[in-house]
Amino acid sequence: METESLPHLERADLLPDQRALVERARRGDPSAHRALYEAHVDRIFRLTFRLIGREDAARELTQDTFVRAFASISGFRGDAAFSTWLHTIAVSVTLNEIKRSKRQRTREAPLEEALMVTRSAPESDPVMRERLAAAVADLPEGCRTVFMMHDAEGYTHEEIATALGVTPGTSKAQLFRARGKLRIALADFAEEWKP
Amino acid sequence: MMDHPDFGEDADVELPGDEQFDAWVSARARSLNVPPATPRLEMWDAIASTQKTSAIAQTGGIAGVLPFRISRRFLPVAIAAALLLGVGIDRVLQHEAIVVPPPVASQPVPPADPSRLYHMAAVQTLSQAEALLTAFRASDVAVHDPAAARQLGAWGRDVLSSTRLLIDSPAGADPQLRPLLNDLELVLVQVISLSGAPLDSSDRKLIDQTLHDRDLLPRIRTAVPAGIGGTASDE
Repeated sequence: METESLPHLERADLLPDQRALVERARRGDPSAHRALYEAHVDRIFRLTFRLIGREDAARELTQDTFVRAFASISGFRGDAAFSTWLHTIAVSVTLNEIKRSKRQRTREAPLEEALMVTRSAPESDPVMRERLAAAVADLPEGCRTVFMMHDAEGYTHEEIATALGVTPGTSKAQLFRARGKLRIALADFAEEWKP
Repeated sequence: MMDHPDFGEDADVELPGDEQFDAWVSARARSLNVPPATPRLEMWDAIASTQKTSAIAQTGGIAGVLPFRISRRFLPVAIAAALLLGVGIDRVLQHEAIVVPPPVASQPVPPADPSRLYHMAAVQTLSQAEALLTAFRASDVAVHDPAAARQLGAWGRDVLSSTRLLIDSPAGADPQLRPLLNDLELVLVQVISLSGAPLDSSDRKLIDQTLHDRDLLPRIRTAVPAGIGGTASDE
């Protein structure tokens, strides 16, 4: 099933002076950096938070995304929208951080413990919510990323594919697979979704 | 730009669909990891601060540090110089540390293969960085002693120059090495920019926090014995 299409990546790029802003940012204009930041920071922060589940980490990743983007903006050729490029950086740094966090589980709390349980809607049934959170955390990294981007944040398959460097078909297949795995993991709750 | 994400070992296994479940789980997905309000100002302050520090260093604002971009024509020469400088520092340190290395082993043999040169330079630079950062963390001498702080800064400048040469070299194209070098550069710039005078506790805390957040020392220690330069050979 396809959720409604939310063209997140295009929204900020439709700002009237987006292209001019990027050009000014390329020349090192700090006010252009700030304007681009203001136009895109909400989406980037939301995305990193959805994927990593911790506010301090999401802040760090969002900052890292913009620092890297501004540092290498001279190499941005403008073939893609600026936001598309920015999302690619954000997803890349976030997935790298998730991998790194997994490697140092002995030093910090397991990622799965932090993931999904820190901020959830209060009206959800707590047991089911925890089971769902755990099941989502158990998904393979790429699968989980596609699921969270599509179902939690409403990105289209084209947007996800660009950010992950895969085809839209792969994104669709991985969403299908993620939902299939979740359905198996949550079979105890079948009465919740059966009419 | 990035490796494909891990989709799991059974990535090609097809699972049966269920539209009712899909609608149910999709609706509940929005309640997972609900983002708080975006801390716009705090994050912008941190970004601007990092940009400012980086800009000062890259425009030669920190004495003794090479500007970031140099002509590729001079890269092999510069890398070789950095390598020799690193070997020189090593020899001085080893000399001070009682053991005098055998003359044959201490002679740097110019490698014929450029990829080997980059590999050696990367290992050399990361080893130096590890020693510097370990010394920084292990001692609070820089807090109280201006001379020690300047010495630390001078050492940091050498390592930073080598790091930037590597970033501009084919070694910097290595997808595993590049992020490590970028993070190392940031920390070194902080160490240098704050080492002109005795560090106060907040300066020290900032650097320690960056070291911790970026997990830098463990990553360097992992990279050095692993022989990182394997993919850095393509010019």
